[in-house]
Amino acid sequence: MRFGRAVIATLAIAACAPGAPPSSGPFRGAELDRPLPKPALVFTDSRGQPFDLVQATADRVTLLFFGYTHCPDICPVHLANIAAVLDKMPDDVQRDVMVVFVTTDPARDSLAVLDRWVTGFDSRFVGLTGDSATIADAQAQLGLIPALRTAAQERNHYGVGHATQVIAFTRDGLARVQYPFGTRQRDWAEDIPKLVAFGRPPDAGTD
Amino acid sequence: MQWWCAATGEPWSWTWQWYPGVHLAVVVLGVAWYLLGRAQRWSTRPWGWFLTAMVALLATLDWPVGKLGAGYLASVHTLQFLLLTLLVAPALIRSIPDDGWPHSARPGSRTFGAFRLLAHPLIALVAYDTLVVVTHFPSVVDGAMTTQLGSFGIDLAWLVAGLLLWWPIAAPAPIGRLGMFGKMGFLFAATIIPTIPAMMMVFSDWPLYELYELAPRVVPHFSANEDIQLAGLTMKLFGDIPLWIATAVIFFRGTAHTRSNAGA
Repeated sequence: MRFGRAVIATLAIAACAPGAPPSSGPFRGAELDRPLPKPALVFTDSRGQPFDLVQATADRVTLLFFGYTHCPDICPVHLANIAAVLDKMPDDVQRDVMVVFVTTDPARDSLAVLDRWVTGFDSRFVGLTGDSATIADAQAQLGLIPALRTAAQERNHYGVGHATQVIAFTRDGLARVQYPFGTRQRDWAEDIPKLVAFGRPPDAGTD
Repeated sequence: MQWWCAATGEPWSWTWQWYPGVHLAVVVLGVAWYLLGRAQRWSTRPWGWFLTAMVALLATLDWPVGKLGAGYLASVHTLQFLLLTLLVAPALIRSIPDDGWPHSARPGSRTFGAFRLLAHPLIALVAYDTLVVVTHFPSVVDGAMTTQLGSFGIDLAWLVAGLLLWWPIAAPAPIGRLGMFGKMGFLFAATIIPTIPAMMMVFSDWPLYELYELAPRVVPHFSANEDIQLAGLTMKLFGDIPLWIATAVIFFRGTAHTRSNAGA
């Protein structure tokens, strides 16, 4: 199982982010050639309420990531690093950024598990779940490789290969930059204020 | 097979793993110590010191401490640094009895000259500080720890740094040249420069080391920032305390010796 998990993780990494060319624009992350719209889908948040991704995140920078709470490496590192950086940002920047985590393992990530895990990084982070079709549709709309469950040796003991990049939507609702695994806190610290400022009129106040 | 602990990027597992290189190093040191004692006909074998050195070496470099320090937790990496420089190294020096050193370095020989040179406090201090600072550069740590050879190199450098630190204190006469106050001053000076990497770890805005920032988590919600800050604090606090204790021991032994001489 470990070998299978390693193969899938390797494929996921190879297929997505690190292969992306370094950004030539203002961002440290890899800018998308063509901005993608936010998937117009309704998930369920970790408190059991419907969560319309477009409406609930309107006019805010959204950092969207697909993963699972049993993830042994990439997911906790990504979320911990974003949380650590946001914590040091000014209040107005913190308010303008939403971090949304969509589970790719809805079978094991119950609402309670998801809520405890996601808010363990930052109480403002949002954990989402949904039916498999909705989750797969969201990944497909963003051009991500679909999450894939590895064969389990024991019941409920499996890994999930998934895309490793965080997708950043600017406040206009378009995905413009992606952050592969390997993005460091200093990269986030440089890019988050730029993402917040992107598309904002120069004289717009921060509050 | 992995011979020496190095960062692999794999999720942490509590499953025991064998690192033959570590065990081989302990065996080689053990055989060398035994043969050296036999060849030089030591009057006594400091078994306690030697066993302390070997057990500490094994605990420092073998699973789980070795693996955790090499690729997962900067705080454990610092613990390894402290164990190698403050326990293994001085115990190794003390595992050779005073009557062994004249055999290894006969007065007037090149070896004697080299040993005496390394016992010079300024030379030992500069060499020790250089090794400590260089082996804590982010580029060195991030580059070296991902390969077995690089990780071995860092461990070896720390052991050598420890030998350099304690040699001016523990070297027997006539190799050693420092008196009581000289030794105390040397130990105080040895606490100064390592403060730089320690404080950089504590006060850096962002994690100093990419390796530990992006390593799979061992303890849930124990962040890389907290880990690296803990590493800096550990390096400063637990790195200095043994040197203060050694300073106190040197002082009290020195004054007791002076009193007994005066009373005689």
